[in-house]
Amino acid sequence: MADIIFRNVTKRYGATLAVDDASFTVNDNEFFCFFGPPLSGKSTILRLVLGLEVPDQGEILIGGKPVNAVSPAERNVAMVFQNLALFPHMSARDNVRFPLVERKVAEAEIEKRLADVAAKLHIGHILHKPPAQLSGGERQRVAIARALVRDPAAYLMDDPISALDARLREETRVELKRIQRELGKTLIYVTHDQEEAMSVADRMAILENGRIRQIGAPAEIYDRPASAYVARMLGSPMMNILPSVRSADGLEAAEGAIRIADAKAPAGAIEIGLRPEDLKVRPWTDNEMTDGSKGRPARVFEVEPLGGYTVVTIEAGQARVRALLRGQPDIRPDAMVAISCEPGRVHYFGQDGGAL
Amino acid sequence: MSAIHLQNLVKKFGDFTALKTMDLEIADGEFMALLGPSGCGKSTTMNMIAGMEEPTSGKILFGERDMAGMPMGRRGVGFVFQNYAIFTHMTVRQNLAYGPKMRGAAKAEIDRRVGAIAEMLQLSPLLDRKADRLSVNILQRVAIGRSAIMEPAIFLLDEPLSNVDAAFRAVMRTELKQLQRQFRQTMVYVTHDQLEAMTMADRIAVMDHGVLQQVGTPLEVYNNPVNVFVARFIGAPGMNLLKGKPAESDRGLVVDLGPLGVTPPLPDELASAVRAARGDVLYGFRPEQVALTERGLSMPVSFVERIGARTIVHLGQGESAVKAVFENDIGLSVGQTAVVAPPASSVRVFDAATGLAVKAG
Repeated sequence: MADIIFRNVTKRYGATLAVDDASFTVNDNEFFCFFGPPLSGKSTILRLVLGLEVPDQGEILIGGKPVNAVSPAERNVAMVFQNLALFPHMSARDNVRFPLVERKVAEAEIEKRLADVAAKLHIGHILHKPPAQLSGGERQRVAIARALVRDPAAYLMDDPISALDARLREETRVELKRIQRELGKTLIYVTHDQEEAMSVADRMAILENGRIRQIGAPAEIYDRPASAYVARMLGSPMMNILPSVRSADGLEAAEGAIRIADAKAPAGAIEIGLRPEDLKVRPWTDNEMTDGSKGRPARVFEVEPLGGYTVVTIEAGQARVRALLRGQPDIRPDAMVAISCEPGRVHYFGQDGGAL
Repeated sequence: MSAIHLQNLVKKFGDFTALKTMDLEIADGEFMALLGPSGCGKSTTMNMIAGMEEPTSGKILFGERDMAGMPMGRRGVGFVFQNYAIFTHMTVRQNLAYGPKMRGAAKAEIDRRVGAIAEMLQLSPLLDRKADRLSVNILQRVAIGRSAIMEPAIFLLDEPLSNVDAAFRAVMRTELKQLQRQFRQTMVYVTHDQLEAMTMADRIAVMDHGVLQQVGTPLEVYNNPVNVFVARFIGAPGMNLLKGKPAESDRGLVVDLGPLGVTPPLPDELASAVRAARGDVLYGFRPEQVALTERGLSMPVSFVERIGARTIVHLGQGESAVKAVFENDIGLSVGQTAVVAPPASSVRVFDAATGLAVKAG
């Protein structure tokens, strides 16, 4: 059992609150992701789990045991760092063996575990090479193998694939998920890439200035963000969040370019949130001019083709609204369009930024 | 004139050939992306345009002018690298003003230009902040501003966004595009990220192993890749490619994919081209074009990635793996079997031996 529990943990560096009253449970065998902007506390949480930092307040439990007073070496959690930190003068084999040799594990046992971990990570054929002769993805796998060979109760990864090419990252994240599933170990993962976080995590925590803003499955957080802050953190292009005003039959935003006919719109809503993929964009036609319910026309500012999708940026009043459309629609800059969104897909945010 | 012509450009470093041969014409005012994986020769190409490296052979022309032997400082190019170079002891304003000041511009003129560029890059509120107190994101913006303020006719950027965080990258993509529209400079942008190339560039030069693979607009390289490298590299995920043998059927020419069964018939023009080409093929289609059908390839779901607006469903394994991109309400989960097929018009076929596209008509 290697569940990891934080109870009201606070960590300060001088006047800076790095982690502010954090409480969460990472379940045994869970792939748990911390996600947030730089300096939001992600890396400090990892250091606290590892034992490289001691909480100022609160309690940390690993596998049910309080570990505040337990040294890093005795915690049996392994770390894969961002820069991988492989020894350049050693072969991949010696790099992977290193943690066991250092712990004076018997040679037969070392070879057995090496063979086991090499098979799981598909690195048997590259073990003889030094890191310099390995590709980025291979180095990554060797670094993970080195962390796993100790058979830790849990392992931690700090943005482990950020240095890889975009294409390789997409493949490696699926690989990481497969490895974690097969190993059946608790994995705490830090990334600054929202797509990566949503792809790999069973559950994730969104951080802001050392505080945990929301915990849940990625789809849950994406579909029902607890605040405008969280809503902006997941999704690309990010959610359009626009100041809204009351209208006769609901709300309107972007100086009337967007009208939401929702009589049940929450009374305290001061902003609406619209996911780019939930927006419908149609060419503006004259007969719509007289139909007040459709909103005012807006001008297309930019069209970005992604191939399978197209991002259309639209100037609507003072706001720029992004829509993510399927395929390669024939929309050009400067075209006049009508924007709409089903009321059921609209997010409402109140004065304090909280979802209503 | 700031068109760039690369003619038979070759670059060797000792025994290593970084660029086998490169012919490329970049029009005046064009935004050209050099796209490829690390080691493809894109940065080497850019370094030669900048004048940091001399070609082993071949020519670089700016307009009609041959750049051979022309030092970097006199080429009139501005550049921004992945690792920004900023004077950290100076303020943002001093950093931006540095270039014009060195050129002896008048104070009023410097102030005007600093103000304009700061406004465009949203640096106005930060002008009097010391650079060493700023985030990586902002520093990269200052680096871009410091180069742009010189209004170079040619602007070279080597992976300028790879160190900034993902959310900021999206903002910067729009800003860079705006910057280029406003100044109309010729922009050469080096990246390994196909998304950056697709969203910003007028045209993309796709490179691999020191060889230019294809030049075209973003949609040209996405819709009609000339070979399997481009097919896989463009798109997120890249194109699905399944090995098979063309086979006649009573419905027309199909591709026999072995254990996966046979594909729906190829459209007539493509079928004729495949018949003429002979040999084994790779049957290609985009993950976004896959649809659930009654008749098609029956494959087990091996993994599901729900990433925001879309869901990537991984089907099958190994050589016969296929990725499909669906809306989030697709309702497929691991262990289920999906029957999928691409619409006939979106199928692309490649020669299995050469990797080259088999072109219809």
